Amino acid sequence: MDEPSGLLGRLSQHFHTLREYSRIAGVAEIARRYMAMNAFDGVLTMIGVLMGNYVAGVRSASVVIHTGMATSIAMGVSGLWGAYLTEAAERKRELAELERASLTDLGQTRIGRASRVAVIIVALVDGLAPFVAALIVLLPLFAAGLFGNILVSYVLALVLALVGLFGLEAFLGHISGRSLVGYGLRTLVAGIVSIALSFLLGTE
Amino acid sequence: MGNLRRLVLDVLKPAEPTIVQLVQALADLEGVDGVNISIYEIDRLVENAKITLEGNHLNYEKVARIIEEYGGAIHSIDEVAAGKVLIEDVDTPQD
Repeated sequence: MDEPSGLLGRLSQHFHTLREYSRIAGVAEIARRYMAMNAFDGVLTMIGVLMGNYVAGVRSASVVIHTGMATSIAMGVSGLWGAYLTEAAERKRELAELERASLTDLGQTRIGRASRVAVIIVALVDGLAPFVAALIVLLPLFAAGLFGNILVSYVLALVLALVGLFGLEAFLGHISGRSLVGYGLRTLVAGIVSIALSFLLGTE
Repeated sequence: MGNLRRLVLDVLKPAEPTIVQLVQALADLEGVDGVNISIYEIDRLVENAKITLEGNHLNYEKVARIIEEYGGAIHSIDEVAAGKVLIEDVDTPQD
């Protein structure tokens, strides 16, 4: 096989290897699952932060942004660490089982490398999904100065959260080959229930 | 040293990577004209494969390295042929 030359060739070679590792270690399926699950967590947690701030009478965008950012970072770090530890343990067990079955040390083969790469990819997805999803929901708060009234930012952020939830489930509906709208509505209801329950906190 | 023309190996390998990838990786080796892999036993996680390579200048070390890289273990070398022409196994009255 010819060695690829130039930066583009090497990048394409790395990409090819990564795809091969991903297929060997079955990364796509688990990464998709983690992404949907944790982005869902990220959006709903951010609904909680928004509603908590709103109900507590916080009318400063900067306070909401700081609490929101701190929460997103915590969720990101939690996802990254948690997934890394559990995934590494799981993959090690799987590799050990395969090594027992094939009576071979697979650590230095592409199976071993694929397993190690899988742990990193899955941990990154698990950490970034809730972090990015939460940041997107917070976007209208960053633009609070443009709207003049912070209540507009609150409403826009909640609308963005609901759209995100709908989109996330529509994505899962697309994967399962089922109705996009039917799936999307189920998570939309989760978001609305979460908003409604938090709202009750404020009405004593 | 005589050029190696045929190699038949008995290999135990994990189900993944598949034999489709392994056969292509082996076929890409220098000196290999063709490769055949047939599975004769399947387990839950591993499979037993008979790998036949033919070419003009097979390099056993490189072949073994690729097989190991794909997680396989060579259990035995079942047939080899080298030289100017390819000689088939000959039936004798004792067979």
